[in-house]
Amino acid sequence: MIQITSALRTLARQRRRSLAMSAGLVAGLALGMTLSSVSAASRRATLASVKNMLGTFDTILVRPGGGKTRGMVSLTNVPPTLTFDDADAIAALPAIRQAAELQNAFDIDVEAGGRTHAPAVFGVSGNWLDLRGDAMLEGSFFSPEQMRSEARVAILGADVAAALFPDGGPHASLGQSIRLGTVPFQVQGRLAPRGAGPGGFSLDDLILIPVTTASHRLFNRNFLTMVVAQLRTPGDTAAAMAQVRTLLRQRHHASTAALDDFTLTDPSAVAAQVTAVSSRLAVIGRGAALGAIVLAAIAIVALMWLGVSERRTEIGLRRAVGATRASILGQFLLEIALLSSLAAGAGLALGGLGIFIASRWQHLPPEWAWPQAFAAAFAAILLGIACGLTPAWHAARTDPVAALRR
Amino acid sequence: MIELDQLSKTFDGNAGKPVRALQGIELRIASGAMVAIRGASGSGKSSLLNILGCLDRPTAGRYRFEGHDVAGATDRQLSRLRARRIGFIFQSFHLLDRITALEQVELPALYAGVRGAATRARARDLLSRVGLAARLRHYPSQLSGGEQQRVAVARALMNDPSLILADEPTGNLDAASGAEVMALLAELHHEGRTVILVTHDESVARRAERQVLLRDGKMENPAA
Repeated sequence: MIQITSALRTLARQRRRSLAMSAGLVAGLALGMTLSSVSAASRRATLASVKNMLGTFDTILVRPGGGKTRGMVSLTNVPPTLTFDDADAIAALPAIRQAAELQNAFDIDVEAGGRTHAPAVFGVSGNWLDLRGDAMLEGSFFSPEQMRSEARVAILGADVAAALFPDGGPHASLGQSIRLGTVPFQVQGRLAPRGAGPGGFSLDDLILIPVTTASHRLFNRNFLTMVVAQLRTPGDTAAAMAQVRTLLRQRHHASTAALDDFTLTDPSAVAAQVTAVSSRLAVIGRGAALGAIVLAAIAIVALMWLGVSERRTEIGLRRAVGATRASILGQFLLEIALLSSLAAGAGLALGGLGIFIASRWQHLPPEWAWPQAFAAAFAAILLGIACGLTPAWHAARTDPVAALRR
Repeated sequence: MIELDQLSKTFDGNAGKPVRALQGIELRIASGAMVAIRGASGSGKSSLLNILGCLDRPTAGRYRFEGHDVAGATDRQLSRLRARRIGFIFQSFHLLDRITALEQVELPALYAGVRGAATRARARDLLSRVGLAARLRHYPSQLSGGEQQRVAVARALMNDPSLILADEPTGNLDAASGAEVMALLAELHHEGRTVILVTHDESVARRAERQVLLRDGKMENPAA
């Protein structure tokens, strides 16, 4: 106990030096904690928004066109190579549970009661809701009968409902007539809001209609903009992609990859690409924290050597009044252990504050990783002690006779 | 109490040439004696004192202190002897910079494994005894040389040692302060403690019952 008090007093007396020795550990811990939390939070948020857009990662996206089609596909920017029959054939593959058909456009004006709006118009197959993980807020989805009869019925996303029917309460759109271009449709439901996708654009600014209706009564196109194929076994992406690729090459008479007139996308690969930014942030954070820790180690070793050589007389005197080598070693190790512990505590506190501030600034919930933080703090203490070992050993080996020579 | 037989100390000098600091020292010092070790600087008197104080080991020969063979003792055993049986007083006081007089005096108790309120009370008593009752909370920089050396004397007495070793205790003091410190040492001798002091000052040496003269590492009055 008295050793601890006296070690604390020694540290307090050399306040500046103690600060210099602990600064690196404090900064390293705080920086590491904050940046890894920031990157974890942004990674989680990005992943959530990608997942929000796609509904599930256990799918393959099949798009027409062999080149690297960029951006959102629509009827105006894809070649007419992906057919309804292709979709049926894909759905029949052993690795595929079901396939949803999509025919979409972004340039259709929608009008209701004198108001116009230009949302995305999606012609979708009857399994769309299931595949996307979408839910109806009210009304009903397209029945098989409606799909067959190419019924002119529509389901509105939350943004569209709000834009076209701003008055009359939340249920105002149900049963109303709207026009898509020149074709009249009847609203039979509203989708539950999905919120934002990656980049923050709204996922609720869309109208769903039956894909059969879209193809024959609105767009007059017999090709698809996308087929979403759901895996039979979640995670079995590679095998499913191989099957789809083989099938489409066969159907489209493409003998080599260069002649492919379709593009397959693995959504989890997209997610990985999108989250790469936050991973890079994590790497930078780890690097910065590691740099600070390395500087801390150098500072501790250097300043402890300095301290030991400055305190030679003290060491000699303590030896003369009865200190063993072991107790001198213990004294210096206790000092550095206490200093490292205080630094680790301060680092944890500062890191916690950093995480809190960063989460406010990111507008994301903070990612607390206390077990990892405490493990890092413990490692910092061990590092401090390890750095102090050689100087402390040197102190213990100091010849008292030489140290006390006047 | 102290028996030295054919004791030698050799240091590694410059250019690998060994320096023979002490050669063939034969010395008996009885318990309760007051002895002055005299000699010019470089005569080996400090080396002898360091060995007597168990801070250093002889290169050859035998040193028995209160029956313990010092040459063969471990660091732990020697440290225990220094803590409980020996008190040091140095020419340059060697007080620690930033602790109070009271804490200086308490320090040896830490290494003797003694702790508690009794330690503080004893340190206070010892400082009163050396005339520093009013200086308990003072730091070395706030004390005169004479006062610092008296703190050092109190510190040497903390664990009630049987042997007091003083290395030029008056060397850095004015005449008056030096006389005070010498009076304290004489008092310790009269209490029955063994006092050995190293000095090159003949007037200081005369305060001892017996003088040991060293020249070039050898005793000049071996029979004494």
